[in-house]
Amino acid sequence: MAALVPRKIWQTLGAIKTGVILLILVVILAAAGTVILQRPATDAEEMQRAYSPQMLRLLDGSGLTDVFHAWCFVLLLSLVSLSIIAASIQRFPNAWRFYSRPYKSPDEGFRKALPTHVLIPITDEEAGLNAADHVFQRAGLNPERIVRKSSFSLFGERHRFSEMAVYIVHASLLLIFLGGIVDALFGWRAFVTLTRGQQSSQVETQTGSKLDLPFAVRCDGAGQENYADGTPKRWWSDLAVVENGKETLRKQIVVNEPLVYRGIRFYQASYGKTGKLDQLVLTATPRNTKAPNSQPARDISIALNETLSLDPDTTVRLAEFIPDFVVQDGHVYARSNDLENPAAHLVVGSKKSGHTVNVWLPRIEGLEQNPEQNDASPYELEGKDVQMAYFTGLEVSHEPGQWGVWAGVVVMGLGLALVFYFVHTRVWAVPVRDARGQLMLWVGGTANKNKDVFEQRFRKLVEQIESELKLSAEPRALAPVTAFAGN
Amino acid sequence: MERVAKAEAQPVATGTTLVVMVGLGVAFLLFMAFLNVVKSGNLLDDSNLLYAALIFYSGAGVLYLAFGITGLPAYVRFASLATWAGLLANTGAVAHRWYESGHPPFASIYEMLLSFVWTLAVLTLIAEKKYGVKVIGTVTMPVAIVGVVLMQLLRTEVHPLVPALQSTWLHVHVTLAMLAYAGCALSFALAMMFLIQDKMQTETFLAATSLFSVATYVGILTRFEKLGGLSVVAWNSEQKSEVFLSKGVRLFVVIPDLGWMLLLVLAAVAAPLVFYLLWRKTHNNALLNIANRAVFLSILLQVMALGFFILRVRGGRYASQDADGLFPTSLAASPFILSGLVGAIFVSLLYLLLLWRREDLQRMLPSADELDRLTYKTIAIAFPLLTLMIAAGAYWANRTWGSYWSWDPKETWAAITWLVYAGYLHMRITRGWRGRRAAYFAILGFVIVMFTFFGVTYLLPGLHAYA
Repeated sequence: MAALVPRKIWQTLGAIKTGVILLILVVILAAAGTVILQRPATDAEEMQRAYSPQMLRLLDGSGLTDVFHAWCFVLLLSLVSLSIIAASIQRFPNAWRFYSRPYKSPDEGFRKALPTHVLIPITDEEAGLNAADHVFQRAGLNPERIVRKSSFSLFGERHRFSEMAVYIVHASLLLIFLGGIVDALFGWRAFVTLTRGQQSSQVETQTGSKLDLPFAVRCDGAGQENYADGTPKRWWSDLAVVENGKETLRKQIVVNEPLVYRGIRFYQASYGKTGKLDQLVLTATPRNTKAPNSQPARDISIALNETLSLDPDTTVRLAEFIPDFVVQDGHVYARSNDLENPAAHLVVGSKKSGHTVNVWLPRIEGLEQNPEQNDASPYELEGKDVQMAYFTGLEVSHEPGQWGVWAGVVVMGLGLALVFYFVHTRVWAVPVRDARGQLMLWVGGTANKNKDVFEQRFRKLVEQIESELKLSAEPRALAPVTAFAGN
Repeated sequence: MERVAKAEAQPVATGTTLVVMVGLGVAFLLFMAFLNVVKSGNLLDDSNLLYAALIFYSGAGVLYLAFGITGLPAYVRFASLATWAGLLANTGAVAHRWYESGHPPFASIYEMLLSFVWTLAVLTLIAEKKYGVKVIGTVTMPVAIVGVVLMQLLRTEVHPLVPALQSTWLHVHVTLAMLAYAGCALSFALAMMFLIQDKMQTETFLAATSLFSVATYVGILTRFEKLGGLSVVAWNSEQKSEVFLSKGVRLFVVIPDLGWMLLLVLAAVAAPLVFYLLWRKTHNNALLNIANRAVFLSILLQVMALGFFILRVRGGRYASQDADGLFPTSLAASPFILSGLVGAIFVSLLYLLLLWRREDLQRMLPSADELDRLTYKTIAIAFPLLTLMIAAGAYWANRTWGSYWSWDPKETWAAITWLVYAGYLHMRITRGWRGRRAAYFAILGFVIVMFTFFGVTYLLPGLHAYA
């Protein structure tokens, strides 16, 4: 008795009714998840604005604010998987028997019950079967002669595999679920921002924790291209993978082209200004061209706190850069991070004497700290170009189960094609004697779908058999009496 | 063949008059449009071509309807011709849009509708020529007309593609979606015809159509304001967009008295339903007659309400409760109210057609069995397309956002659509569901498809902001 209960549960699980009820529940919950605002996607403030506190508590308590990750939804999906497995296993033995041992030699009961069959009068068993053999052969039904103790007959069929196709579809669905479960358990999503030249092996996951990668990724450059109307056309990042201090891969990624390394994918997700300087381009012109070490006028590119040599004695260092400056009470302040009104503070020094002068671009007079001494500099410096630093935001994801998903999708496509577009067709021909003792060829057939189309085809087959018989028959052949027992 | 012969044996109705009238109407509208085009000097612009398509599709719709009423095969010939002409103009519009933007027309809801209507017209012609389902145009052409009207309202300028949309997978995804959705639309039309052919009671259709109209008006009247106004979105005619108070928050203006008017029409469309329910209780056939008359009255009132709505929306500036000053609005700001009003009128007209000409319709349609099989076959084609559409979308999302499934509303609803059709197939194949139950299932499936297509975009938030 104890063994009966699980058996009953197993039966119920595999019943089509259970499957449908479960699917309806999935549909209802999923629909609820699209109507009710969802937690991780919507921020807490907006949730509080949208629902009253009691309502929110109720929704949170029942898991409706994060339906797709709630235990009841996961449970429901597992039950659906179980139901598919149970249904497939319960129906499989029958289907397999049907598939592996085709019914080749129809007995009288089967012949009477088959909806689509005809009786064609023949004079000779062998001639009748031969005619049917030719016609089946031409129709691609691969006929074979079946010889039993008491009878012999003809059996032909096509696309038997389509009987099993539905199991392929179910298996593919399970494969997709499996991939999804693997990803839910072992997959993760994270984010990392890099500026040019920066390298990182640590990313921040969605939950806010830090994750260490077995390698580092370096950004060698990032940028944005615009259409003529100013909307963004393309974002790109030049990335390099550094493993054990060696560069192992280099790739430029754009929005639809991620970098994949060791199953970890880097996607171009965002791009923006850091408000910091990348390079300042200056023109340096010597004030006294006859001085001993003086160099001709040239452009130099300098980063913050970088020191460059202008000639063997003179150096220049970028001490400060303010993208949007304002002067108040003799001090320089930054108003914003946007490149609106930039100012640069450079220090020009002499190696020999150790003497330094402050150069402000543009000239700012009356500063208390580092007062401007532009005219005392041996080189006249002129701002030419400001290149701001941009960051590139990379979405990082690891989805080890996705191959299950893609494989499942491909298999499902194939399975559905087999299910819908390949018809298992079977035909039989058996010489029989009717009630009056007249020799007849019983021809019957069946198809597992598209029965209307099959009936037309069957009629054609019968016509062909009849004309084949006429060709080979003696002149005294009886007028064909074809009894149609179709519907 | 038999069907045609029977139809021809009927006494000749005053058919030529209608063909001539529709022909003259189409010619007149084309001539007026041509004058406009000459003035603007831009002959093959996609909006002009679309206008031509609208005219031809409308002509085709009227002729298909006339065929439904009279059963004269000549109408179908002209209706087919009009559909062909409309399809030609529609193809031109698609090609122009494609050429102008440099990408296949799938990037906005306007471009998707353009492709959807095109596919629908193609499928209508296929169903008619290959399967002999002649009256299918009476259902699909109005859908096409509503589509084209919506397009005129939702027209967007050519925008360059944002980076996320620059992917071949997107085009694969959307092409499959359009094919699958058009297939679902066709299966819906076939299922409706099956119900007519299956001797489903005319009264049941009465209940269904009134229920649809009542639901539409209740939906619209959720915008009912104090003192009988109806709030609609304000429109900025210079920027050709809705007025936003802040990001994502639209500014509503209140049109006074329109709410009362629509409330009155709601009562009128609810009346047939009430009489039907009374009839169900008492079985007094006089009530049914009253219900049918009430439908007639409700159509008149609905047309009036539509006219009133259009006039009030197009002229005048209205006050808002959220901001000072008066703001104009536009039909383009309320595309769904407009299509709801038009749709309800259309559904009531279909009921009248059924009421008056049921027997003719039944004679002209293929047999119930045939329609049942055709419905199944269309779904057997649409379902794999739906599957591949979801797969291509998942693959694209994986390449763009790094996740193949993120349960955003559009994805979820696509999955729900898939499940409903999977349910249909299971019930049909393993449970042997045929006929009416299967037809209801097919209709439900299409309703969900429509919700996924429009409802999700406009009612629910999510990633699919592009379309």
